[in-house]
Amino acid sequence: MHNNILKYFGITAILLLLQFLVLNNINFLGYVNPYIYVLVILLLPYRISRWMLLVVGFALGFTVDYFSNTLGLHTTATLVLAYSRPVILSRWSFRSIQDIHGVPDISNTSIEWFIVYTILAVLVHHFVLFFLEVFSFKHLWLTMVRIILSTAVSTFFIVIIELMRIRNKMVR
Amino acid sequence: MNNLYEILKRLYIHVVFLILLGASLSLYFNTTYYQKSKVGALTKSISGFWHRQASKVTSLFDLRRSNILLLMENVELRNDIERYKTKMQMLQDSLMKIDDTAGIFRYIPARVIDNSINSRHNYIMLDAGTTDGVYKGMGVICRNGVVGIVSATSNHFASVISLLNIDVKVSAMHKKSGAFGAISWDGMDYRRVVLDEIPLHINVAQGDTIVTSGFSTIFPKDIPIGRVVDFYIKDGSFLSISVELFADFKTLDYVYLVNSRVKDEIERLQTAK
Repeated sequence: MHNNILKYFGITAILLLLQFLVLNNINFLGYVNPYIYVLVILLLPYRISRWMLLVVGFALGFTVDYFSNTLGLHTTATLVLAYSRPVILSRWSFRSIQDIHGVPDISNTSIEWFIVYTILAVLVHHFVLFFLEVFSFKHLWLTMVRIILSTAVSTFFIVIIELMRIRNKMVR
Repeated sequence: MNNLYEILKRLYIHVVFLILLGASLSLYFNTTYYQKSKVGALTKSISGFWHRQASKVTSLFDLRRSNILLLMENVELRNDIERYKTKMQMLQDSLMKIDDTAGIFRYIPARVIDNSINSRHNYIMLDAGTTDGVYKGMGVICRNGVVGIVSATSNHFASVISLLNIDVKVSAMHKKSGAFGAISWDGMDYRRVVLDEIPLHINVAQGDTIVTSGFSTIFPKDIPIGRVVDFYIKDGSFLSISVELFADFKTLDYVYLVNSRVKDEIERLQTAK
């Protein structure tokens, strides 16, 4: 159990360092920025209690905000994602594949399932994030394009990182 | 009673969510951009430290290019010095005594250690702080244009609201005619800003230079900003001009902070009326 908590802190630290030192410096097309720290929420155990999920989401978002001068922005987006994760996991008929005691990652499911799961979760997160940041419907179209492009790029990075993580696990 | 307990048990997670959501939203909306940019001295030193470590690595990649740029700037400055030396000689010949030789503006150099262009509210972090004489409200310029305005400072770092921030307005002037207006960013293209409030009768052409007006005491007069690429009539009475920036915000490296020696004097006069 303690090992597991330490493991999650390790994953979080690595993802946040990668986020701040590498990905925040990529300015693809000028306004597309991938956010990979979302993966922490995706990888929490399937049986985790909902209030714990919310607390982790809040704390994670707050940490990201704290280091990027955006108090409340990432906190809200990650909190909404944490709230809707059980909905995403239950609404779609993936249940047969899931290992009920495990983690919803690729090794317990399948790559197709994980990609759909990531796209849905990232879409929720980015939708809140970008609309809250602009806070107007003035450039609705542009904001939608930003959301869709960023979701695609974030999903791409998350799946790559997850594949690398799984491969390391296999080797060990 | 049992029923009520059941309902509470079912609802409590939504209540927890709503409370946390309320907390995060009020955190977002009740803090201004200024407050956000100075979450605390601690944050700034920590993230400042990180950004400095990171920029130590990333700045290596365009060391060559920035060296060439510095070299070119040095040459220009040297030429200027020579020109001024001869001018000074001429002045000294014609005047008995020059009282105030120190300029109105003084510049403090700084390095960009963190920068963003992909948000609507972009900020830049510099490695100069209050110990270097930086204070809130100072203008920041670079080799070829306006960069932003200092929003918060700690001992060794300063946070700058970039010109690429939809909340910033800078007083600017159409160089050829002297007509002035306000420069702001529409949040779209990081290479372009918009100059508003130029009267219709002004003859604007593509390629005209836009410079600072010098009205605000934040920036000196005639600092170049950009070049006119497009313009159209807005609301029937004013021109809205699309300006391509000279400065490339993506590759900002060394900047200068502008210290106006007469700022206090002018502001005192303005508030006195």
